[in-house]
Amino acid sequence: MSMIEVKNVTKSFKIKKEKTMETLTVLKDFSVNFDQEGVTVLLGPSGTGKSTLLRCINGLETVDAGDILVNGLSVNHKKDLSKIRMDCGMVFQSTVLFPQFDVLHNLTMSPIKLLKMPKTEAEEKARILLNKVGLASKEKAMHNELSGGEQQRIAIARALMMNPKALLLDEITSALDPEMTSEVLKILESLAAEGVCMLCVTHEMQFARHVASRIIFMEKGSMVCDTNAEDFFTNARQNNERINKFLQFIGE
Amino acid sequence: MCLFLTETADSFNMDAYTQLTPNDLLQLLQSVWVTLYVTVIALAIGTILGILLGISRCSKNKILKYAPLIIIEPLRNSPLIVQLFLVYFGVPVLTGQVLPLYPAAIGTLALNTAAFMAVQVQTSILSIPRGQWEASLALGHSYASTYINVIAQQAIRILLPQAITLYISQLMCSSLVSLLGVMDLSRLAKFTATRTMQPFLIYGIISAVYFALAYPFTKLAKSLEKRISINL
Repeated sequence: MSMIEVKNVTKSFKIKKEKTMETLTVLKDFSVNFDQEGVTVLLGPSGTGKSTLLRCINGLETVDAGDILVNGLSVNHKKDLSKIRMDCGMVFQSTVLFPQFDVLHNLTMSPIKLLKMPKTEAEEKARILLNKVGLASKEKAMHNELSGGEQQRIAIARALMMNPKALLLDEITSALDPEMTSEVLKILESLAAEGVCMLCVTHEMQFARHVASRIIFMEKGSMVCDTNAEDFFTNARQNNERINKFLQFIGE
Repeated sequence: MCLFLTETADSFNMDAYTQLTPNDLLQLLQSVWVTLYVTVIALAIGTILGILLGISRCSKNKILKYAPLIIIEPLRNSPLIVQLFLVYFGVPVLTGQVLPLYPAAIGTLALNTAAFMAVQVQTSILSIPRGQWEASLALGHSYASTYINVIAQQAIRILLPQAITLYISQLMCSSLVSLLGVMDLSRLAKFTATRTMQPFLIYGIISAVYFALAYPFTKLAKSLEKRISINL
């Protein structure tokens, strides 16, 4: 049994176009499995359902049809959502640290409240993780004293505080400048080297090429290709005109 | 009869009657207490009720979301004085029982406060970015835990200045309960001004007392705001 099993998931959104409501199907009968290993990168043009897939796995979006099982628990069962979310830590494109807390409290609040971790243990763990993301000196800082890249690194550390079995990363470098992007990617690389399982939506091709163990290319809510990084950038690219066009377009 | 009137007129000292005495000061203090008593209890009840109604207004459940409007909208869209008369003079016509003065006055002021507070609570909660909800839920918090640990603390920061403004406004509006017969500051002012024939002096003093009561609240609001200050 895979850690995450996505079974025939369909997801659509209602969008308002002029005066009528239209249905936009983002995931079409989509199935895929993820094991608790390595780094999987989801690639594809915007609007193909990559982020929606991550949000469905985390239960932030409900699926219209099909099911997603995380360690055997279904996202369709509301009572299991909390456990699923603790297993799949998620980091978003727009940084969302809790502004009323300092960095340390941002990290320790959830394990103290949800995992009943003693405060001293939580703080000790938070300091280890802050050290890991290179921000040990910032534990007393408030969110507006941090750069975008620093905030994202703290958001990653905050997700890791819950001991997730996998990290879901939704375009976490899209809103950052190149320097900050490289700061964040370095952290992801070091986490990958430590064996942290990650599921990333990104447009960072260098990251995909060098760090990903598996690449899934999606278009219009369906899977076009599911292979390893080396194969993706060589064979898959040569054999699939759509992938080639996409890679050319983003300068690869 | 004629003799009696003559005697009374002879013994009645008009100057003494119109003068301010230490007893007036005592009455002033008593009426300050009444005004504070009515206002503070009404605001406390109104705040709790308003928070509950405001949270209910943010619910996804349609009944919980829209049912509070049955209370909120009539209270926000009619004058407080009419509400006070409706409750104190109108309700007994239906029930056949006269309502006690203070509960009627405090209850009506509390409901009126709750209606305005509910809207402030609702807008404060809804102004918290969706991302804050999602970040908290994604960490494994339930909706209730997210409300308590993440959203409420940010919403209070937005709510507090508005709530204090409402409190000060309701303190002023509490003067309307004098029209039901509650001997608060305003009613005392009216009696004393009539008796002393010095309306400018008396109403001036009463205005200063209202100011003295309200101003510390303004200061308190600012200090509270700083204490729970968050860098949103």
